[in-house]
Amino acid sequence: MAEELLRKAFKIYGRNFDRAGETSTEIKEILKGLNIDSGIIRRTVVVAFEAEMNVVMYAKSATLNFVITDEEIDLEIADKGPGIADIEQAMEEGYSTATDEMREMGFGFGMGLPNIKKNADQLKVESSVGEGTTLSVRIRLNPNA
Amino acid sequence: MPEESHSFIIDHDLCQGKLACMRVCPTQAIRVKAGKAEVLSELCIDCGSCLRACPSGAISATTRPLKEVWDFKYKVAVPSPVLFGQFPPGVSPGHIIEGLKSLGFDSVWPLVVEAALINRAIREYVGKWKGRFPLISSACPVIVRLVQVSYPGMVEQLIPILPPRELAGRQVKSRYSEKMGISKDEVAAIYVTSCQAKTISIFDPAEGVKSNLDGAISFSDVYNGILAATYENKENGQKLLSKELLHGKEMLQWSLSRGQRDNLHSYRYLSLSGLSNIIRVFDDIEKGKLRNIDFLECYACWAGCINGNLTIDNFYVTGNKLHRLIAELPERDPWLEAEVEKRYPNEDFFIKAPLTSRPIKGDRGSLKERINRRQQAETVLAALPGLNCGLCGTPNCRTLALDIASGEAQKTDCIFFSKDRLDKLTTIYLKNK
Repeated sequence: MAEELLRKAFKIYGRNFDRAGETSTEIKEILKGLNIDSGIIRRTVVVAFEAEMNVVMYAKSATLNFVITDEEIDLEIADKGPGIADIEQAMEEGYSTATDEMREMGFGFGMGLPNIKKNADQLKVESSVGEGTTLSVRIRLNPNA
Repeated sequence: MPEESHSFIIDHDLCQGKLACMRVCPTQAIRVKAGKAEVLSELCIDCGSCLRACPSGAISATTRPLKEVWDFKYKVAVPSPVLFGQFPPGVSPGHIIEGLKSLGFDSVWPLVVEAALINRAIREYVGKWKGRFPLISSACPVIVRLVQVSYPGMVEQLIPILPPRELAGRQVKSRYSEKMGISKDEVAAIYVTSCQAKTISIFDPAEGVKSNLDGAISFSDVYNGILAATYENKENGQKLLSKELLHGKEMLQWSLSRGQRDNLHSYRYLSLSGLSNIIRVFDDIEKGKLRNIDFLECYACWAGCINGNLTIDNFYVTGNKLHRLIAELPERDPWLEAEVEKRYPNEDFFIKAPLTSRPIKGDRGSLKERINRRQQAETVLAALPGLNCGLCGTPNCRTLALDIASGEAQKTDCIFFSKDRLDKLTTIYLKNK
């Protein structure tokens, strides 16, 4: 059983475009301060940022739990939002339910979940329509382990 | 060759511990413990912000003294393009070149052909790149070091192509050693530089191999001499019109922010200048933003090399002069076009070793130990006043907390926790007390 070394919880609010990215920046600073391998930092930060943007675009609010164990980095993003009806479809590159307004702002190109999947060692998506979505992401600290 | 660990030195006799350097340092690499500034080498990126900020004149660039240059058998000055914008209107590029010779240089080698060659090499590299975008220009030594120290995950995005000055150094050495029948070591290629960071890129290149240049001298070493020679020899220099000597726009464009725009017009290109602006953009890149940009031109100095620490004239005036010169020049004259065609297929433009991130030795121990230290630092930070006054000798409360956690400082360095510290500072700073 992996030993939990650090746990932090962050609150993210929907429609909060001006402050979007703050949580992933904070996570990046923590990991950099710990001298974690730069490739792992990059993957973690991309996952955190994409997840944060999904919350900002679609949900009311969310809690991001960030955990470091001696083996891995775990991110759990549980939002209160519309939920995803067809998860398989949502995982396809380019599939997006973003409004024109969001696209005009440069968001919602359907790369969020695919990008998270690409950078995670493990991804679990649980969702119930009308209630919310929970993403559980695992990134191993030692890729060869 | 002098062993330089950094592009500047702090004269402790002159340093009055005024903290200005510590406060402006973008990588928190300066501490002022006992009234004297000290640099943490591994964090320093040679940006020269401290040099600019010091109110006591205690920090100077480690350029090469001119007298050392004269020991070489054959001496070639390689002037930064910025030099051509530093003088009053009556002084033409021809005067500047002749002026450098009158100081004792056997030849002068402006970066005319090299800028054009490197432009082409960069354009081809961007076009062929299959990795992560945006690519980042490596012409500014400060930017290369910033990425190595603060953005290790982005080192592969630095373009591994020589800057024009290094290419010129190689060319000068091979050309003149052949012409004069002497060895390459007897030919000195001396960069006349607009900033201190180019000197560190010569003494201690970021990729860890030997530079093709033998040192750098600053504009102030040549400025008065060039002016004097120009006034003594006015008619002779007048014949040397800028158009004939500079052959094209590209060299002068290299010293200016937005200078790569023409070269990369078919790519998605962003021009950045000013270290704090660049840090904000790099933070965005780390989050995965800006992936749709092909190329970032980056100059640590706002507006580009024309605003370097060792320039004489203010950068607005310099920029204006250079833009006017550029407007008079052709894109490339036939001679320059022919030189590029002749040299491009036969030369290698890549740096000789890969750029890697710079390890910071501060964070030792297992992940668990590192996390414990960080958490300890968080606890300490919560107890500190949060005024970031700097009187502890670190730039802010956060740095003090981290230094305490790693054993480099004590809580009693903070005046709120130690009367002794305040007394010590009183004896250091209130000299007449």
